[in-house]
Amino acid sequence: MSDVRLVAQPALAEFVFSERFGNPAGPAGVTVVLRHDLRIASVIARRGCEAELAVRVERTFEVAPPPGPHRIRKGNLTILGIGPGRWMFLQEKGAPEFADVLARDLKGLASISDHSDGYAVFEVGGPLARQALAKGVAIDLHPKSFGVADAAVTSIAHIGAMLWQTDDAPRYAIAVFRSSAGSFWHGLRDSAAEFGLTVHPG
Amino acid sequence: MRTASGGLIDRNVPLNFRFDGRPYRGFAGDTLASALIANGVRLVGRSFKYHRPRGILTAGPEEPNALVELRNGARREPNTKATTVELYEGLEAASQNRWPSLSFDVLALNGLAAPFLHAGFYYKTFMWPASFWEKLYEPLIRRAAGLGRASGEPDPDRYEKAHAFCDVLIVGAGPAGLMAALAAARSDARVILCEQDFVLGGRLLAEHFEIGGKPGAIWARGLETELRSFPGVTIMPRTSVFAAYDGEYAALERVSDHLAMPPPFMPRQRLWKIVARHCVIATGAVERIIAFGGNDRPGIMTASAIRTYRNRFGAAPGKQAAIFTTTDDGWRSIADLRDAGVRVAAVVDPRSEVRKDLVSQAQSVGANVHFGSQVVQAHGAHGVKRITISSPGGAITTIDCDLLGVSGGWNPNIGLTTHLGAKPIWSDGISAFIPGELSRAMSVAGAARGKFSLRDALADGASVGLAVSEATGFARPLLDVPRVGDEDTNMWPFWRSTPTGKFAFVDLQNDVTAEDVQLAAQEGFQNTEHLKRYTTLGMATDQGKTGAVVAQALMAALTGTAMGTIGVPRARPPETPVAIGAFAGHHRGKSFRPYRLTAGHRWAEEQGAIFTEVGQWLRAQWFPRASERDWLETVSREAATVRSAVGICDVSTLGKIDIQGADAGAFLDRVYINVFSTLPVGKARYGVMLREDGFVMDDGTTSRLADDHYFMTTTTANAGRVMQHLEFCHQVLWPDLDVQMISATEQWSQYAIAGPRSRELLRGIVDGQFDISNAGFPFLAAVAVTICGGQPARLFRISFSGELAYELAVPARYGDALARALMEAGAPLGVAPYGTEALSVLRIEKGHAAGNELNGQTTAADLGLNRMMSTRKDYVGRVLAERPALADPDRPALTGFKPVDRKTRLRAGAHLFQQRAAISPENDSGHLTSVAFSPALETWIGLGLLKRGSSRVGEIIRAYDPVRGGDYLLEVCSPVFVDPKGERLHV
Repeated sequence: MSDVRLVAQPALAEFVFSERFGNPAGPAGVTVVLRHDLRIASVIARRGCEAELAVRVERTFEVAPPPGPHRIRKGNLTILGIGPGRWMFLQEKGAPEFADVLARDLKGLASISDHSDGYAVFEVGGPLARQALAKGVAIDLHPKSFGVADAAVTSIAHIGAMLWQTDDAPRYAIAVFRSSAGSFWHGLRDSAAEFGLTVHPG
Repeated sequence: MRTASGGLIDRNVPLNFRFDGRPYRGFAGDTLASALIANGVRLVGRSFKYHRPRGILTAGPEEPNALVELRNGARREPNTKATTVELYEGLEAASQNRWPSLSFDVLALNGLAAPFLHAGFYYKTFMWPASFWEKLYEPLIRRAAGLGRASGEPDPDRYEKAHAFCDVLIVGAGPAGLMAALAAARSDARVILCEQDFVLGGRLLAEHFEIGGKPGAIWARGLETELRSFPGVTIMPRTSVFAAYDGEYAALERVSDHLAMPPPFMPRQRLWKIVARHCVIATGAVERIIAFGGNDRPGIMTASAIRTYRNRFGAAPGKQAAIFTTTDDGWRSIADLRDAGVRVAAVVDPRSEVRKDLVSQAQSVGANVHFGSQVVQAHGAHGVKRITISSPGGAITTIDCDLLGVSGGWNPNIGLTTHLGAKPIWSDGISAFIPGELSRAMSVAGAARGKFSLRDALADGASVGLAVSEATGFARPLLDVPRVGDEDTNMWPFWRSTPTGKFAFVDLQNDVTAEDVQLAAQEGFQNTEHLKRYTTLGMATDQGKTGAVVAQALMAALTGTAMGTIGVPRARPPETPVAIGAFAGHHRGKSFRPYRLTAGHRWAEEQGAIFTEVGQWLRAQWFPRASERDWLETVSREAATVRSAVGICDVSTLGKIDIQGADAGAFLDRVYINVFSTLPVGKARYGVMLREDGFVMDDGTTSRLADDHYFMTTTTANAGRVMQHLEFCHQVLWPDLDVQMISATEQWSQYAIAGPRSRELLRGIVDGQFDISNAGFPFLAAVAVTICGGQPARLFRISFSGELAYELAVPARYGDALARALMEAGAPLGVAPYGTEALSVLRIEKGHAAGNELNGQTTAADLGLNRMMSTRKDYVGRVLAERPALADPDRPALTGFKPVDRKTRLRAGAHLFQQRAAISPENDSGHLTSVAFSPALETWIGLGLLKRGSSRVGEIIRAYDPVRGGDYLLEVCSPVFVDPKGERLHV
């Protein structure tokens, strides 16, 4: 048996070397926090179990999974509607067992898959966040159209993404496949360059 | 010449610029065209075909003539309209399409050869002999024709794409657009107002209008201020909306084109996709020309352009002018010319009379008025010097002038309205095409739909704006239409002078003349779309905005057809030219498309990997060592290491799909040709799936992790397609099945550990409580384990190489660390990383089909997998796989090949023939699909598809490869070159 211990390496560790990018003048228009603390699991209702699943989720987490492309948050749990009968559950500062515990809690009602390692999550804020995101995001982020109660599965500069708004600052969270993190980051960095961009490793 | 005062230029901000190397000075607010005019420059370019001297015809994006090369070096941009270039300090521009100089151009002789360069000349003149085309005609034509030169260097600037959303998009900020924007803004709608110019106002900037007692330009500025006070309003100057789609519009924002160089971190241009619930087209109208001899000479301009240069730019385009007009607008130029100190020698109007006040104004400046008259010829080599007019009764008069203003009426600017298919309709009232039936999400306001007078344009903009606000669900706001005087355009259709004279152009950019239209009519190219293609009428950067309708009118007259029947070609995007770079945006160079990296990418880089693209993925192709001469030596060493010791390969890119649910097994039985519902928990099985048409779609191993939980792998290339296929099957074909699936490719970092010593290696990684002995963990076992002291992982005993082999998966955050741990644990065993090329060598030696064989044209039987096709169940593709053509025993089947001369190098793609058969397509009996140098056999080997291949083992056949000059003999053999009994898998 090996005495080597495997050390976790967050997505993007290999891309972001600096804290400030683009226009160096003044305060940065866009700030990015790399969320390495999230545990992520998909929850797909078993056939005919959606109603029962909603009850079970509400009993367990004191919040029901939102129907449709919406987001709901309770404590450190965020639930995103990503398709009919499909949700992503995200736990902030989550434990590695998150998906396993979820599978136990929802056993028989839903299929659970762990995606904690499958996504890189960027939290994008700052006064010009929306202007920077408009260069890649093809959906309307105006408060009239999209808010903290919404979630979107979309494509950003040809990269599949889940997008939701975390607060009214506004700040947005964008989850892309881990393998695309570098590609996405380059696009985000270029889009925010004119506004100045700071990055916090999260 | 610059006038002493007036204009919207800032005379306190002088700007230096160069044209053809000579220094000039303009002011902030100038365009290149206005600055050239202010400096007395009349000759700015040579025409496309005849190299005729050309000047500036218009003051806007409709300009056909004044095309220049802007900037230098890598930033040189040909065919830039001087009328749309905002002047900046240090601007450099050059005339184009002339040699050796603008004033003396050798190819102007083309003008003398004009009889041979008529419409359609290249369809006829250069037809024979055919061999001359490539070598002689085409190079000659290319040298002579064409406009500017591309820089030939990579574009140093950045471009961007962006998305915007609004309730109401307004295209054009002239009087109608501004009023529509105000109405929408006051109703609280989200409004985007796009204006191609750098100042809002449109014709208000160019005419002596008064609105509410203020000059039009000042009124526009006030309205802009009000609009900017609405948080829901976005004003985008320097932005051309160039395409209309279903509810979406494309616009080009020239972010930095008014600067010598984009500022740091700024793009040069930004391509906008604007999603709008409603769009108001307020793009105004373009004044058109009249066909008469020499109507292209420098110094001949549209009358409205003369007024623009005078009123907006304080520039007088000549000293002595004449006006040739069929509209009252033309007459209104007289006052502006007088104010600019230009003498007006004559007004020529084919009509017999006009309003008295217009006549008396002309007479007050001493102009001779010629009613019922026509300009028949303009003279002057490098610019108009005099014109010949013909008057009633045939009297011919010559008038000296260096400036001729032409007003042939106005064409509503309707290009955008036709992008969705609306066919323009002819209006006899204004003798112009107006927008046809529009989609419900589009309206047209102002001059763009023939409301030419200022009063009409303002009122129309307001009423369209209010209607649109209401239609998009907003309250109708209060809106007063400002009071203005009314001046009707009064246009009268007049297209060509008679006689028309020589070189009477109807399209100045493409050198199309009235004679060409006549020729097209004679030769049967009468339909408006044929006329366009036969003569090149209305093509290129100006889209024939100033003259194409003249040609259509001539065709109507020649064929005795009504204008409405003749019609106008439907415009297609882009309405105005767009740099290709803007369409690419950030996606150039390495960012051309997204790339995907495995968690072990950095580790592979450190190992010196050479990467190859597999779809979006970058995969290590091989890991060269300093001592190795070439890739073949590296790859052979890697493959040999796997056969003799142990190698590791990152296989994380394989598609992985988590499939759960009570019916997961039943679902897999329906998508795979073989059975999975009977697979025991803890086992993996190789599976093949077909497309509905019976051909193989993909293959891979699927493991059963629990009763209701399977884990499927796909090939890297087909991962997305298989996921799509499974979703389709579930959602559309069998929604009743209780099955849930989601891609888990990204969650797991997975490595193949292959070779006779792979178990030894794993023993150093997998935690001790797990039995991985041959008996405890046999071939095709698949279980969850822990490694490296408690880290959860999944271990599969599967083999692509034919050796004892495993695949070990960990959550991706540990992927980098696992690669390093495997290397460390394997160091005493002689471990080496291997790339996709060695992977390929190993699988070819083993006769496994891969991408080259799973090419969408092969059946399971072709690949020797027919025994896997279950006869006890139904599955996707089963029925169509039984089609006679797919079941034909003559079909090429997967076969192995060795060269008869063992030194021969094989190449995939070589075709296969019977040894004595003639080389011809009908004798073709297959081709080599994959080849490799086999270190195990020390010779090149190949897999291929050969007719009845499996029954031809031992036969000598001929491989013919004309592309690479190959012609050699092959021995047909089993596709399994190494360990045909598969014993190594089970040790």
